[in-house]
Amino acid sequence: MNNKLQFRRAVLLLVLVALAFAGLGYRLVDLQVLRHDELSAKAERNTQREYRQAPRRGDILDANENILATSVPVKTVCADPTLIGGEAATVAHAIAPLLQLNEAAIAQRLAPREWVTKGSDGETVTNEAHYVRLAKNVPEQTWQRVYATMTNLMFTSEGGKLTRKEAEFFRNLRQHAVYAESDQLRIYPNGALASQVVGFPAVEETNENGHFISWIQGRDGIERAMQKELSGVAGWRVTETDRAQHELVAMRDEDVSAQDGLNVVLTMDLAVQHIVETALADALEKHTPKSITGIVMRPRTGEILALASLPTFDPNQPGSISPETRNRVITDVMEPGSTFKIVVVSGALDSGVAKLTDEFDCEHGHFAFAGRVLHDHEAYGMLSTEAIITKSSNIGAAKIGIKLGAPSLYSYACRYGFGQRTGIPLPGEARGLLYPVKEWSKVSIAQIPMGHGVAVTRLQMIDAVAAIANGGWLMQPMIVSRLQAHDGSVVERYTPQRVRQVISEAASRDMIKAMKTVATKEGTAAEAAMKDYVVAGKTGTAQKAENGTYAPGKYVSSFIGFFPADNPELCISVVMDEPKEGYYGGKVCGPVFRDIAERCASYLNIPPDPALRTNAPPMVAGAIAPKEANP
Amino acid sequence: MSKNRKNQAAEIRFGPVLKVVLLCSLICGSAIGYVWQKSQIDRLGRQISDLETKVNKAKRDNKWLADQIAILHSPVMLDRKAKELNLGLAPAQPFQVVRLVEAAPVADAAPQFAQRPAAGGTP
Repeated sequence: MNNKLQFRRAVLLLVLVALAFAGLGYRLVDLQVLRHDELSAKAERNTQREYRQAPRRGDILDANENILATSVPVKTVCADPTLIGGEAATVAHAIAPLLQLNEAAIAQRLAPREWVTKGSDGETVTNEAHYVRLAKNVPEQTWQRVYATMTNLMFTSEGGKLTRKEAEFFRNLRQHAVYAESDQLRIYPNGALASQVVGFPAVEETNENGHFISWIQGRDGIERAMQKELSGVAGWRVTETDRAQHELVAMRDEDVSAQDGLNVVLTMDLAVQHIVETALADALEKHTPKSITGIVMRPRTGEILALASLPTFDPNQPGSISPETRNRVITDVMEPGSTFKIVVVSGALDSGVAKLTDEFDCEHGHFAFAGRVLHDHEAYGMLSTEAIITKSSNIGAAKIGIKLGAPSLYSYACRYGFGQRTGIPLPGEARGLLYPVKEWSKVSIAQIPMGHGVAVTRLQMIDAVAAIANGGWLMQPMIVSRLQAHDGSVVERYTPQRVRQVISEAASRDMIKAMKTVATKEGTAAEAAMKDYVVAGKTGTAQKAENGTYAPGKYVSSFIGFFPADNPELCISVVMDEPKEGYYGGKVCGPVFRDIAERCASYLNIPPDPALRTNAPPMVAGAIAPKEANP
Repeated sequence: MSKNRKNQAAEIRFGPVLKVVLLCSLICGSAIGYVWQKSQIDRLGRQISDLETKVNKAKRDNKWLADQIAILHSPVMLDRKAKELNLGLAPAQPFQVVRLVEAAPVADAAPQFAQRPAAGGTP
């Protein structure tokens, strides 16, 4: 009897256990098989996180690795209003002073917001805002203070014993309601210095799953031209977090580091740029032109050491940027005036059409040609080719042009690079205007030699003068020297590029001989002469064309020169648009050239011309004679 | 002759007991080891995370300090400071610079270049 009862009990227990196991088994199959996809996705959503790792934008450096543009890490302070609930006012009161923002405005943004939309099935969906941005470009230290304030914040509604739900609410409020996203801010330590070359960026954003991802996009200058090299490549990390949102490092799935942008090293020298901008600023004050530009270039390599255009802007203050502050050196074209005479004269010397000693009748200041009368600023009779450059005779240049012939003149202008972009890696470069011969009028052959009927950029003009200084070789202007990684290793080095030989070395020597006479008492730019160096150069004074006619009293004045004339180290261009207090290129731009040249010569330690060595101490020949052995 | 089970000597068989103890120890040890290992992984994960944060902060600080040094060394800043402090500093004029002429190579130095082949030298 007992055995039978025990057996029944055992069978009952067995059935119960079997049922329990069957239930568990079914549950297991339900969770692991039937609802596998749904539940695994839910589990992943709860624990798995994907973080974007923003690359650091590369720096822009000068030739001596002085910083022109850099990025500093900052924070974007954000909040989740659903975690703040009814405590928006308290939170706003605590953090608004730290972020230097209006408390009421912050409170309004922190208040929970809901809106209703129609779902895909037509049902009504209530949405809550989980993300509001409170402040951008917040320094790291300020964010730390905000975080500490939030962590220690006390709420009046927190008194008494809290339920579990309330305790969790306040914990989330303190730890997660206000948070920060990493960002970077572009800064320019030297302010407006070289700003037109360096350029400026804009911050662009995309919205990904309710979060804004921002990145810096260059808008002008090197920032724009070298955007790809500067910006780097974003990385990412797929990992898991615990309930408190701490990362579980062992659960990292994918971890690809961001590749920082490369540093762009320019050929520019910050000290030379400072010299140029200071000199231009003084001239701007004295002559109050609409704009003034300056370029310093190494003729042998085409490296640009300084490039400035005033008025300028401070890229740290985007409000200071306007069309007036554009980089006129490459964007604006102008009739070059007499500086263009170097093209026709050097072409004539190169082709053998004229020699320096050949004389031309300058018609005592009035020359009727093709129904027009050409004028000189002074009445000259017979002038040699050299003297035509010295005195900047329009009629003399026109006669050389006529002798050279339209096809040759056009060919030499093309070979000097006029009518084509120089290829400098800066956005917005203009081509200039050089019409083909078939579109020339009868008077063009007389006008173009004196710089009318063509339009050039200031960069094209200095590049042409630099070609004469460089034995006739036209160099491509260089502004970027190399790309390097953050550890200083060079990734890519750019070398000087010869474009073509425009004129022979002999013609270039003759041309330099003629140009040396410009910065003398007999020439048009006596003010450009330097004390310790022989200067070769050419002045230009072009009447401005407005609405199809030449505007009276409006001139573009220029002086482009290089020194030491027989061993050129630097080529410098100074151009003023509508100067007051004088308008002749030699008078207004010559002194600015001399100022820049003397200071650059001192800074770059360019040896003075031996011929002009007057006050210099003697060369010390025996100074490094073998010494006694070091003790 | 069979023995009465009630009278059977209560001997302890150490062999099976030892096996059971060892098996239990192994299972418990494995469990504890597993938990300890997981705990270590978690602790080390936190340490790695903290150290990564510190490294990133050190890198940021290093970059910031390097930038500050570079800015303080920049010619513009030096020029501004020189003017502010009224030190009377000015660029040297060409005639104030003493230039040294390179001395001619001494005769003894020649042999080391004399043996270099004419071709296949410097690129």
